[in-house]
Amino acid sequence: MTWIQAIFTALASPLFYKLTILSALPLVFAGIGGVFSEITGVTNIALEGIMKLGGFVAAVFIFYTGNPWIGLLMGMIGGLVLAFLHAYVSIEWSANQIVSATALILIAQGTVGFLMKPIFGQEGQTDFLTKIPMIKIEPLKKVPFIGEIFGELSAFFYIAIGVIIFSWFLLYKTPLGLRMRAVGENPQAADTLGVNVKGIRYFGVLMSGVLAALGGMYIAIGDIGQFQELMPAGKGFIALAAMILGNWNPVGTMWAALLFGAADAMNIQLQTLMELPSETKALLNLLPFVLTIVVVGGFIGKTRAPAASGVPYEKE
Amino acid sequence: MKKLLSFVLITLFVVSSFAFKVIMVTDVGGLGDKSFNDGAWAGVLMAERLLPNVEKKIIVSNEQTDYIPNLAQAAKEGDVVIGVGFMMADAIYNIATQYPDVFFIGIDIDPSPDQVIPKNLALYSFSEHEAGFLGGYVAASVTNSGILGFVGGQDLPPVKRYEIGYRAGVEAYNQLHDANVKVIVGYTGTFEEPAKGKQMTLSQYGSGADIVFACAGATGNGVIDAAKETGMSFYNLPANAPLEQVIDKYFEEGKGYFAIGVDVDQDYMAPGYVLLSITKKIDIATYEGISNAQSPRYFQSGHKLMGIADDGVGISPMKYTKGLVSNEILAELAYLQKLAKEGRIDIPSTEAELATLDVSYIEFPF
Repeated sequence: MTWIQAIFTALASPLFYKLTILSALPLVFAGIGGVFSEITGVTNIALEGIMKLGGFVAAVFIFYTGNPWIGLLMGMIGGLVLAFLHAYVSIEWSANQIVSATALILIAQGTVGFLMKPIFGQEGQTDFLTKIPMIKIEPLKKVPFIGEIFGELSAFFYIAIGVIIFSWFLLYKTPLGLRMRAVGENPQAADTLGVNVKGIRYFGVLMSGVLAALGGMYIAIGDIGQFQELMPAGKGFIALAAMILGNWNPVGTMWAALLFGAADAMNIQLQTLMELPSETKALLNLLPFVLTIVVVGGFIGKTRAPAASGVPYEKE
Repeated sequence: MKKLLSFVLITLFVVSSFAFKVIMVTDVGGLGDKSFNDGAWAGVLMAERLLPNVEKKIIVSNEQTDYIPNLAQAAKEGDVVIGVGFMMADAIYNIATQYPDVFFIGIDIDPSPDQVIPKNLALYSFSEHEAGFLGGYVAASVTNSGILGFVGGQDLPPVKRYEIGYRAGVEAYNQLHDANVKVIVGYTGTFEEPAKGKQMTLSQYGSGADIVFACAGATGNGVIDAAKETGMSFYNLPANAPLEQVIDKYFEEGKGYFAIGVDVDQDYMAPGYVLLSITKKIDIATYEGISNAQSPRYFQSGHKLMGIADDGVGISPMKYTKGLVSNEILAELAYLQKLAKEGRIDIPSTEAELATLDVSYIEFPF
């Protein structure tokens, strides 16, 4: 099969779209989490750490209770707590947000590394845990093509749809959303008009904690059903790229995440469809990263960050 | 009384100075990888149990840059230093030359052609292709679709040897049974991302494969999960269905979806969905190295390749899935194992050797 044939065969198969969705899901959650934080003016590069901790906490509670939904809830709370630390030092103490977030990543790594052995009795990874169930829609499954993509997906897929609609509505159709964007663009002006800048920023950062934790949990207990210490293996940083490419907009972030997911899926499908030497396969594995650089580099002038993103606000 | 006390003290002193300190330096990932770090540590524990006066310690490498400081620290404290993992090769050569009085054991490390192995360094590596051969042969006999899958991690020599051996096993089956089983080969480029392993497996299942060899460390757990998920959905069974039900469904449907485990017996990770595991006995190699080092006269520096002949590699006993393999194939497998032990089959380890594989000279005595 030639390259062109293989690419078209891949594009024509429902599996390609399913794999795209699977790869994109964690990026959608974490990327929209990033949007919530940055749109109110607090950068949050700690997505990676929050994802790790969220997945870990969820795994711990599933390990003890056997109930994935309790794990999901506690993981979200775990993400919330970690994000609160970031919110507190960046909002109350006007700390440098990059430094604070970096510290957060290290805290997550250290905590998880330290607790793996005492809790699970082994370092590195847990055994298989009960996953958040897959949702199988029988009538949909029978529809050709569409059914093969959407017939049986993790419950996280539907949570993601909910998150995208909810965050778009919240940010662009409600007064709260308007205030959030105002605080991110010009906190002084918003403050003068009586908007509670601190409160709004807390809300944004805490939301980003919950959403990033969902992304981490999808990787650990939605996709594989196992937590590994090295998770999410850089997905938190690619989510930041998706957020930038998506122009700090939840729907845009979703499209960007799908684009990165498609690069992953294309790499995998090409390897399956074609007989390639292993060097070419190694190169194909770089496809998503190359795409990240090209796309972010190419779009950097065309997207615009919230003006006050990363700037601490102090009342005069 | 005084005499007795001094005798006891002297004995204690002598014994403690004879304590034989074994320090293992892990590869990135540390213990719990269910693969070579755990395997080597099991060898150390075996040595502690079976050999006199062995004292053990472990140093975990978090990054590749930790190799040299960790090995050096271990060399200062210990009598034997065990370095685990292919990536540690350069570091262990380097440190072994600097500490000539300490014995070094490199597990899963190939000698590099341009370096002389120091007198105090013993390297153990494995003929992964021989194990892969047996696994590929069995998988080729079980597949219903005539297509098998392979999901590799990074394209390192041990992984490549597994791949070549696996494909050779399939090719041997094709030649001996006049079949036409194909193998889809994919590399994820990582040992740490189960999600990618899972997606690649789904993709290979989508292209018709029904058995996929997970040859990718922690990434391979995604392969096993994909086998379980796809199998469950295909059989229409819940996640906690008992093994008998899974096997019954397989026979009812006449086909199923499977993964193949790697390095250690991973069959238990998803009973009924892992067909078999292709293993190498890292624990045995580690134990042998420690045991040799205890009596310096017997310490054999240099490189030792562990293959089928010395029980260094093989396949798992298929605790849950043996019933899926026909008796005829099990008998053929035993015979092939015997031939390999006696050195009567050349199992290829490179692409070039694989291309010219011809096993028509093998005749089963039954």
